[in-house]
Amino acid sequence: MIAARRILAIAMNTWREAVRNKLLYTLLFFALLLIAVSVFVATLSYVERERILQDIGIAAIRLFGVAIAVFVGVGLIHREVDRRTVYTILSKPLSRTEFLIGKYVGLVFTVWMQMGVMIVAFAGVSLAMDAPLGAVHAAAFALTGVELALMVAVATLFSAFTTPMLASYFSVGVWVVGHLTRNLRDLGAASDSGAVAAITAAIHRVLPDLEAFNLSTEAAHGLAVTASDVLLPVAYGAGYAVILLVIATLIFERRDFR
Amino acid sequence: MSSTEAQHGDEIVRVENVVKDFRSGFGLRKKRVLHGISFSVRQGEIFGFVGPNGAGKTTTLKILMGLIRSSGGSASILGHDVRETAFRKHIGFLPENPSFYDFLTGREILTFYAKLSGVSGSQRAERVATLLKWVGLTQAADSRLRTYSKGMLQRVGIAQALVHEPSVVFLDEPMSGLDPIGRVEIRDLILRLRAEGKTVFMNTHILPDVEMVCDRVAIIVQGCIRYQGDTQELLVEGERETELVAAGLSAHSVVDLEERFAARLRGLGDRIELRFAEKNTDEMIRAVLDSGGRVVSVAPQRASLESLFLSAVENAEAPESGSALTGMGEVE
Repeated sequence: MIAARRILAIAMNTWREAVRNKLLYTLLFFALLLIAVSVFVATLSYVERERILQDIGIAAIRLFGVAIAVFVGVGLIHREVDRRTVYTILSKPLSRTEFLIGKYVGLVFTVWMQMGVMIVAFAGVSLAMDAPLGAVHAAAFALTGVELALMVAVATLFSAFTTPMLASYFSVGVWVVGHLTRNLRDLGAASDSGAVAAITAAIHRVLPDLEAFNLSTEAAHGLAVTASDVLLPVAYGAGYAVILLVIATLIFERRDFR
Repeated sequence: MSSTEAQHGDEIVRVENVVKDFRSGFGLRKKRVLHGISFSVRQGEIFGFVGPNGAGKTTTLKILMGLIRSSGGSASILGHDVRETAFRKHIGFLPENPSFYDFLTGREILTFYAKLSGVSGSQRAERVATLLKWVGLTQAADSRLRTYSKGMLQRVGIAQALVHEPSVVFLDEPMSGLDPIGRVEIRDLILRLRAEGKTVFMNTHILPDVEMVCDRVAIIVQGCIRYQGDTQELLVEGERETELVAAGLSAHSVVDLEERFAARLRGLGDRIELRFAEKNTDEMIRAVLDSGGRVVSVAPQRASLESLFLSAVENAEAPESGSALTGMGEVE
């Protein structure tokens, strides 16, 4: 209970730092701009205007959500060490694990809050263009939220032991590859080589399968999704994030702050 | 603090044979910066940890604060291993040149530290207001820290170290970068902490301040403790000197006296000041008079911490060691 209070104090401070960060507002501005542009692009089409509108809108939310998660997340720990703010904080009755989890929770909360603003803009333009909004959209955004939480964990892990520059390269790399592992696995399975199939299957198992969180097609086309389509990816994402945070904690616990 | 917390009588800090190696070059190279140091700090005293730059003062303090893990030996505060965290509610820490979240105000940052230190919600606002007043930042309490001067940040650093009313306070170069008024204020504050019964551990290289406020002192040079003990006893044990001011001496006589008595010279217009070992005083007076000079004044000099410190640095040799790691050198 007391640990939760300390984690919350770190999380609230991380959120406060993020909302006073100009980079966040720049990214948010461009996301909202892209959602607004989707209205213009949709009006140029004679067919499936609603689908085009929502495709662009959902893509904007996912893309800028990841950008915020990665570019704010990669400096999360490094900045604390570089600015030496970690010295006074870790001299308090606070474990390094509590500190790292607090930073993570604070950034996830910030990313979700930014996502909420983008979703409101998306809903606004959808209603203005008479595009449908339903449970499938809520499900798609819920899974996007889980994907972003997972990407914050990826960025936090890299931030725990390397520079923001390298951490951003690694994190973006994981995001790109994470969206390809499913295709890679399917391609490997279709190959004649058993070794290739085994390797691609192993890559799919080890790296995050971020396509598991992608319901944008279902949302744009108004297709039905089942409870398991949502709950299984949520469990997968939460489990994966926990593993990443445990590794990040183990690395962070061993660090010397010279 | 319970009786079990102070395991070794009134020893609040206990450091035993602490060794620290830093690795570099993908972990292949090791550099030993602490060579099995041992010392203790007693309850209610001001302990000065003194040494030149790069001697290992800050590394030692970081080990005590859990920011760095030692490579060997043990360190405890209030009877707890320094790797634990819960006991830290009893300690306060001011790092050298402290840095804080500059997007927060003075009041916000102290409230944040109070929360982390477990100060209850009902007491937090009052405690923060008291500390702000104590360090003279009430007027600037609601300004962002990025607008604060270095001296003001140092005061914030002291306030955050004390916000939870710790019984032991660790200060790393607390006078660093402060103007003379700031130094006097910090010195008074340290004395006030002792008057309140707190134990103070102070890293510093400003020796006059150590002489003025510290009850006990340890001198660390090249990662080894060279002296440790009561400040006054150290000064008494040190070699006493005499300062003699003479006039009317020829240049040749001055050189001769300097060589005969290993004296240190300082020109004072047409006079000359000679500092030499107290035991040679009578002989020096005779020699000055025999050389046709005049003795203007003779004054006994107490050995200063500075002279002990310089002597420790000059006498420092790389410690003999059975391991491959020796001195400050790097090994593969």
